[in-house]
Amino acid sequence: MEEWLYIQTEVYPALLKGFWVSLALIAPSAVFGLAIGITVGVLRVYGSRPVMAAANAYVVLFRGIPLVVQLFIWYFGLPYVKIYLTPFIAAVLGFSLCSGAYHSEYIRGALLSIKRGQMLAAQSLGFSTVRMIVSIIFPQAIRRALPGCGNEIIYLIKYSSLAYMITCIELTGQGKILASNSFKYTEIFLIIGACYLAMTSVASAILGRLEGRLRLPGFEHQRI
Amino acid sequence: MTTPILRIENLSKRYGTKDVLKGASLTVNKGDLKILIGPSGAGKSTLLQCINFLVKPDEGRVWLEDAEVHYTHKGDLCAYRQKVGMIFQDFNLFDHLNALENVRIGLVRVKGIGKREAGERAVRELERVGLRDHLQKYPAELSGGQKQRVSIARALAMDPKVMLLDEPTSALDPELIGEVHSVIRDLGANGMTMIMATHQIGFASSLASEIVFMEDGRIIEKGTPEKIFCHAENTRTREFCSKITELYGETR
Repeated sequence: MEEWLYIQTEVYPALLKGFWVSLALIAPSAVFGLAIGITVGVLRVYGSRPVMAAANAYVVLFRGIPLVVQLFIWYFGLPYVKIYLTPFIAAVLGFSLCSGAYHSEYIRGALLSIKRGQMLAAQSLGFSTVRMIVSIIFPQAIRRALPGCGNEIIYLIKYSSLAYMITCIELTGQGKILASNSFKYTEIFLIIGACYLAMTSVASAILGRLEGRLRLPGFEHQRI
Repeated sequence: MTTPILRIENLSKRYGTKDVLKGASLTVNKGDLKILIGPSGAGKSTLLQCINFLVKPDEGRVWLEDAEVHYTHKGDLCAYRQKVGMIFQDFNLFDHLNALENVRIGLVRVKGIGKREAGERAVRELERVGLRDHLQKYPAELSGGQKQRVSIARALAMDPKVMLLDEPTSALDPELIGEVHSVIRDLGANGMTMIMATHQIGFASSLASEIVFMEDGRIIEKGTPEKIFCHAENTRTREFCSKITELYGETR
């Protein structure tokens, strides 16, 4: 009974607050991450040599350094050059840049998988390169990239739990505080695990539905 | 009087150390149907692709209606390509668009025509190639012959001055070839200027204003179908023609 009261009066409000912070971190990071990923992915395939090299360097850097380290650099490192970010902004920045690096790899693969004939046909109709990429190549590529990009968004939901390391108290952060006050680590982190599981399940359901809506005749999955 | 609509001079293309096109020159008059024949690897495809610069020639010049095409200038190149329709052996329909959208997208995205007007035009073009009932079908739902007819409608919608056809029926089953041929025949009857690479000798000889025999990156001989198929001057032309006649049936 006492447990229940504790959950109702302390755990629930704190976790709800954390949950909203988590969502507030995830949503913009997913959008910015995808936008960065698409831009960088396109540049890595169609950019001029120096642009391509710069985009590749970005991916090497942000995919190669642990995310926690990146977050520490944004939050604790930047003040050395007189740039002060709030924990929230630093977290969104870190997540977006890291997520973008991964997205760009899925986008790049998808762009490379589009047959040359599609480009020849567009060019022969008088499409400029930019128009061709936007109207012909990209709509096909995004369909192929979607499973990978969806995977990355699921990942993002989970690594948003690192934000508390730079004092942005989201779901995991709230849990940590609650647990260290009450020593009910198991119960609280089971609840938190369930919350993340619920978020990723909802996200994957939405992504699955999106994949279904974008499915084209001739590209259906054939059950063997 | 015949007026040259497209003139190419000395087009050459080299891949590494291999010369695939060695100085091809051709003058195409309005309403002409030039047929390119020759063994595979002769440079027919390369020539066609060089004409609209899908392959950038190493040398050579192209004029459309007396204006030289400056293909290094992107705006000029895009404007020129709108006037030169291209039909590919493997159709190259846009996989993510249905038949109607395939025809419409060039009008909307390249010509900047409103979606509705472009849609009406696309329907007319698809009707013209006999596909009124297949507007909503995606490429994967169409037969090869239907796909090729959509691609012809897509090219026609841009109001080209010249059409380049790169073996338009080579990827088709024999019973589907006829429907594409009849569309091409109609085009010719309506005065469309065309350059077509094909192995369909019978069709070629019944329609062509000139047959151009290519081998090893060069134009070896050109002339009326009668001359090329019956009294060719060059031995290689004669050999090729007799071989291909054997394969694809009578010349008429």
